[in-house]
Amino acid sequence: MANGPVETLTFDAALAELGEVVARLEAGGMPLEESIALYERGVALHARCAHLLDDAELRVQRLVEEAGGALRAIDLRPDDVDDEAGTSA
Amino acid sequence: MTDERPWERWLRREPGTPDAGPPGPEPPPWGQSAGPAVPAPGRPTAVPSGSNRSAPGSRIWTVGDVTRAVRDVLRAGDTFRDLWVEGEVGQVTVSAAGHCYFALRDGRSQLACVFFRAQRASSPFEARTGLRVVAHGRLDVYEAGGTYQLYVDSLQPAGFGDLALQFEALKAKLLAEGLFDAARRRPLPRSPRLIGVATSPSGAVLHDILHVLRRRWPLTSVVLAPCQVQGDAAPASIVAALGRLARWQDPLDGTVPDVLILARGGGSPQDLWAFNDERVVRAVAASPIPVVTGVGHETDVTLVDFAADVRAPTPSAAAELVVPSRQEAAAALAALRGRLVASTERALGAGRAALEVERRALARVHPATVLAGERQRTAELLDRAGRAIERRLAGDRDRLGRAADRLPLLVTGRLAAARAELGAAAAGLAALSPYATLERGYAIVRAPDGRVLVEARATAVGEQLDVRLARGALDAIVANVRDSE
Repeated sequence: MANGPVETLTFDAALAELGEVVARLEAGGMPLEESIALYERGVALHARCAHLLDDAELRVQRLVEEAGGALRAIDLRPDDVDDEAGTSA
Repeated sequence: MTDERPWERWLRREPGTPDAGPPGPEPPPWGQSAGPAVPAPGRPTAVPSGSNRSAPGSRIWTVGDVTRAVRDVLRAGDTFRDLWVEGEVGQVTVSAAGHCYFALRDGRSQLACVFFRAQRASSPFEARTGLRVVAHGRLDVYEAGGTYQLYVDSLQPAGFGDLALQFEALKAKLLAEGLFDAARRRPLPRSPRLIGVATSPSGAVLHDILHVLRRRWPLTSVVLAPCQVQGDAAPASIVAALGRLARWQDPLDGTVPDVLILARGGGSPQDLWAFNDERVVRAVAASPIPVVTGVGHETDVTLVDFAADVRAPTPSAAAELVVPSRQEAAAALAALRGRLVASTERALGAGRAALEVERRALARVHPATVLAGERQRTAELLDRAGRAIERRLAGDRDRLGRAADRLPLLVTGRLAAARAELGAAAAGLAALSPYATLERGYAIVRAPDGRVLVEARATAVGEQLDVRLARGALDAIVANVRDSE
């Protein structure tokens, strides 16, 4: 079983681990304590996925090339894009 | 120019013209006759006997005969069925029915053209006075006017022919190089962490793409490489933008784009021309990151589309293509949750069964007093596990939502039943007489104060002990204490 706090997992990683947890529970044959631990991990993973699905906010950045050719990214808020779209064809 | 006058006449006539009717021989403005004066069809009329214009072997034709004869000549070969004509558009008149009449001119002559409403409707390009155009259509005679005209079915800006030739030549060349091979196309990541977008930083396209991503899969990030998408500088600008995206790495988490969108909104073929540029096509083909193109409208096809890993019909469609659907992910998650609940229930059932086996083993070998201790310990363990689960479940209940409300009830119900069953069984065991054990040769030894002795050092030399056998009892005096055994 993968470990670490679920808060740092991406959706894909959390969903994949949840799949593993379910598969292990479905295979059975483990001590009760381990089943309960797996179940709790599964619930946490599910909560992580649900949270990401419900609350994720698209992050948008814009690349800027510096004089030396180095790249820098600046955050682009939704308003920025809407404003730009509104003022030009 | 005197050729303006018929147009004016046409315009004056316009209000009386019926507004209906399929594309057909609507009277054109350059016709001199106001109405059909068609003679009896068919055969040439005999020369009137009083004519002084008779000549040997000749006859006098009706107007209609001449017109139809010319028409037949025009229609006879393939020459005039499929014509491309380039010229400058003269004055344009649009009838109430939506048909467009104009003349094509060059330095020497002009050609009357009709562009019917149905064909105009599907054309991205309109005839405008002064424009150089290439018109395609068939040449035919308008009988009522005694004129021939080009029945236009498509109209392109002049120069289009050159561009079309360039397009085909470059396409053939790159095709031969294998740039468009299907085997080159790479699969897209199922759910990208970072999407690189190369498009104009202003305008509706970026807005549309971000709108789709926010709605469909906001669990990702976007990095925009702004570029010009139109004009002479566009190809180099697009190539540079693709290059920046390819070497971009987020300094915070090291993320690199795992898919690129190259997009532009709809426009004329000239507007989209940068996307047929060889440099751009090659840059897309050489991109180390899979590229999805969304250029123009659904009907627009540019050469980058052939080189792309996936061609989307529009910018919005490109955004749809690169990310999974939030709805589908939620459905998959809900299915896993259902299986998590079901498998945990089964696991708890198995744990209970295992506990039962151990309990039976204990009941066979241990004296009741020991068993009682075991029972209590087991009950405590089970209680602790139960409390942990119940606490956990109480917290989970909110998070899992209504659909999962069944879970805590099922699990706690199952645990309560297990506890009750275990309790009943242990109580039965406790009722067993400890003296039954004495029949197998065990003895119970008590100190003078009634304590049951389980270790030697709990007593001392000289102390009087009560030894209870299966039948009868002994008063014994301790002669020696061997603590080490």
